[in-house]
Parts: sequence; structure tokens; C-alpha cells
Amino acid sequence: MEFPNHHRQIVEDLTSGKFVLPTERTYAVLKENEQSYNYFFKASFNYELRLTQDFAYLVSDESNEMLSRDVCIFIALLSYELDRDGKNFLERIQFSEFEIEEIENYFTNSSYIDLILSNKQLKDAESRKNFINTMNRRNIIEKTGDNRFVFTSAHKFFMDFAADIVKYENAEKE
Amino acid sequence: MKAEPRTILRFLLEYFDIIVDLYETQSKGGVITREILSELTSKHNIDIKVQLVDYKILSPVNDSYEIRTVYYNLIEFIQSEFKPMLPETIEKYHVSISELFRKIKENINGDKVLLNQRLTELSNEIRTFYEMVEKNTISLLNETRELKANVKKIDYREKIVRASRWIDEYIIPLNKILDINHSSSIANKLYDISEYTNRYRLTTDEENTRVLFEKMYFQLIQVNDNLLRQSKILTTELLPLIERIRTESIILTGWITFLKNPYKQKVPRMLETKRHSIYSRSTFFNAAEIFEQFKNDVDVYFDDEVNSDEKWIFDKEYYTTKLKSNLPVPDFFKWCNKTLKEDYKKVEIEKFFALTTLAFDEDIERDFGAKPEFEKLKINDLTLTYPKITINKQHGIS
Repeated sequence: MEFPNHHRQIVEDLTSGKFVLPTERTYAVLKENEQSYNYFFKASFNYELRLTQDFAYLVSDESNEMLSRDVCIFIALLSYELDRDGKNFLERIQFSEFEIEEIENYFTNSSYIDLILSNKQLKDAESRKNFINTMNRRNIIEKTGDNRFVFTSAHKFFMDFAADIVKYENAEKE
Repeated sequence: MKAEPRTILRFLLEYFDIIVDLYETQSKGGVITREILSELTSKHNIDIKVQLVDYKILSPVNDSYEIRTVYYNLIEFIQSEFKPMLPETIEKYHVSISELFRKIKENINGDKVLLNQRLTELSNEIRTFYEMVEKNTISLLNETRELKANVKKIDYREKIVRASRWIDEYIIPLNKILDINHSSSIANKLYDISEYTNRYRLTTDEENTRVLFEKMYFQLIQVNDNLLRQSKILTTELLPLIERIRTESIILTGWITFLKNPYKQKVPRMLETKRHSIYSRSTFFNAAEIFEQFKNDVDVYFDDEVNSDEKWIFDKEYYTTKLKSNLPVPDFFKWCNKTLKEDYKKVEIEKFFALTTLAFDEDIERDFGAKPEFEKLKINDLTLTYPKITINKQHGIS
């Protein structure tokens, strides 16, 4: 039985909950063999492979809701604070590099401070640093230095979710 | 004042255009500089600087001028051009109204002259309070409609900033002030005063005091009706209008909605990693991810009816002794599983990992065999792959 190149890497990355990004060589392999991998992950692990133009990831019936929720809170707060600061939050998240210090400023001065303090992954500088490392491991961000990072295209996964909230609410009203 | 009141009023009428220009200048910049004053008066081909100061319409501030408050308020009122006031400014009336009301109640049978004076002042405070609320509602409506029409071509981010500010800083606090059901609102206080005045307008013997109570009672009926109308404008017109402006940015609105109740919303599904290999390239990171979740202690509250189990604490001494007595142990991880099953029936992964830490004890000598052997162990829904480790009797724990 023959597997495509980088098969082991693909399986390891995806099953460890990483987003595989178009900038990675494994993404092209996945794209070329989408159908086979769909079948492979379904048959082997009962996971569903989702492949978009911005990222690939696996979905199972049992999901890691806590991490996903914390990432949503993190991005939501950052988007809100950037916008409040007069910045174009979408452009900044998509194209700019962030310094930890900047993140710290936003979080410590946020009007959502109660929410931040009640979240154990985001409640203080140390927790946030750890959380940034967690996002790095999941390929949601890419660390560009000890105190700097950029968002990867996987951030769109969460932005789509935010847009869906509004669409869903509007649909409910209609 | 040097001039006759009629002269001043005629002056205001005659040069109203210049005065409105001055008013707009001050509204935008805070003060009227000498240069702007000269520019405005020369634009109208008339030099009225001296009269403006003599009639006390303008007062000098350093090298600039300011329109005196009484004239500024008059023009603002005539032009219906109010700036939204922070509700804190309005909230102060809560203190003055409450204080006067308290003193009236405490001294209802005291000095009648003082009582009448307090009743008159309370009536004035209520009137001023209502006028402020009305001005604020009008100004917020004007600003919101302008924003909706977007005449100034403001981009959506600025619109969201403004809309959010108006909602959070002006409308919601103002609505609280006007919420009659809120026990600490001014509207609620006015309702109490209304009930009180109604009682005393019928029972007070002293003629002047009774008239004042009567007057205040009818004033309060009017004010309460008007406040209710203002509150309705805020909740049925202004808030929805601003909310619509806010939703122009779909994503930001989505996040704002999410942040209102982040723990009750369904979130996008991310894979839960279940396969843990004890020795692999990602062992460190997997372990770090697990332990980071428990690193920061948070206060946890349990409802009374929930029977929570006592927190399990790993008793190293107890398990070390047990391991000692079981030596030699041919398969350490299997022993951990078996020991926990004996003690607790159901093996929990945290207990299992705690117990495996015995293997890292410096006093223990581990034997991995000539060739590494890997075994599988199922704990609940988790399948662990582990290397077979033997702990021998002769080299065991010291």
C-alpha cells in the first residue's frame, strides 16, 4: 500500500489538532489527494477532513470546546479593542505583526476586564503568554520572535464563525 | 449692567447672525479667539466687539473670549442644537432632588417658610432635570439620524465607535435614570415624591404650602408622563437605530454578540486530541498543553445541591510503599493501572499520570530490556502506547 509523500507528517499534524496551512508543503499533498484523505481519516479515526483555500483541519464528534472558546474570546477581544483604538482590525489581524506588549496593553485596559479575569487562559500576562504558545502549536498564530507573532490564515476559521453569528441571528429574525 | 434690558434684546435681534456664528465657533473650538472675533465681525461689516463685552454677552478668557453661559444656553435652546450630555451630569440631580425631598419629609411640621422655600427649590430642580433629559434625547436622536444618513461619510469603524459610545455612555445610563422600575432611578424617586405631594396637597392646612404641593403634584404628573415618553424614544427608536448602525460591520458585531455571553454560545468545533503517545516528539508539548490548563488556579464555586467529590491528592509515600511491597514489577505501567483499579475501581487518567511519576524517582532503577518493547493500555476512552519498563527487586527502591 502506497501513501503520498509527507503522509506521516499530515496525519501527525492533523490528529494533533493543528491547522495545516497553504504555506506548508503538506497542504498541497492534502489538496491533491483530498478524496483519499477524506476516506482515510473517516475510516481510520472517524474524523472529518475539512479543506478550505485557507486551511485544512479535522473535525470529530467530540470537539475541544474549551480551547476553541478561548481562542474565540481572544480574537474577539483583540478585534474589539483594535477597532476601539481606531484600527482596521481585519487588516491588522490579517497582515500585521503583533507584539506581546501591544496585546498586554489591550487586554489590561479592556472594558471586558471582568471576562478576561474570569478566564484562566487569559486572566494575566503569564497565562496569556502560555495561551499564545498553545495557539502557536495549533498553527493559529506563528511566532516570529520571543515577543512577536502574526496570525496565520487559520484566523479566518474564527472570523467566519463571528460572521455566522450575525448571519444566524439575522436568519432567526427573518 | 450698563445697558437697558430692551437695548440688549434689540442688540441680540439685530446682530443675531454674528452671535450664532460666534456660538458655533465656541461649540466647535471651546473658545473664540481675538482673530476669529475680528474676522467674523469684519465679515458682517460691523464692529460690535465693544458692545459684546459691555453687554456681557462675551467674557474675556486670557486672549480669547467665551459666550456667557446664560446666552450660550439661550442660543442653544433657540437653535435646538444641543450636545449630548454625559448621564453623570444628569445623575447629580438625583442627589439634590433626594436631599431636598428628605428634608421636606423630615421637617413637614417645622418652619413653614423654610418648607415652602424647599418645595420651590425642589420644583426648580425637577424642572431643570427634565429639561436636561429632554435636551439629551433630542441631541442623541439628531446625532444618530445624522450618523445613519452618513452625510459626513464616516467609515464603519468610526460609526461603530460612535454608536458603541452612545449606547454605553449615554443611552443605557440615561435609560437607567428614566427606568421607573429601577429602585435607584430618578424616575422612581419622582414617583415617590408624586405620591407624597398628592397626600399633602389634600391634607396640609397652611394655604401657601398646600398650593405649592398642589403645583408640584401637577408638575410631577406632567414630568412623569414626559419622562416615560423620553424613555420610550430611547428604547424604541434610538437604541434600535444605533444597533442597526453597529451591525454594519458583520464580524465585529458577531464578536460583540459573542462577547456578551461567551460561555453560552456554540463555538466552532476543533479537534480534541485523544491519542497520547507517552514517548514521542510532541510529548513535551502535549503534556504542557494539559498541565497549562491546571496551572492557574481559579476560584471554583459549586452549587449547594451538587455533591462534589473530595479533591484527590496523590499520596506518594503510600504508593511508594505499595510499589516496594510488589517488587519485582515486570510491567510498571500495567502495575499503575492495576493498583488504581484495586483502590478506586475506575481509573482516572489524572491519577494514572500521577502514579506514573514514581517511575521518574531517582532512587528507582528501571530496566527497559535489551530491545524496546511497546505495549498498549486502554484507560476509559484513551489508548496509551507505552514502553515496557521493569523494576527489579534487587535494584528497586532503596
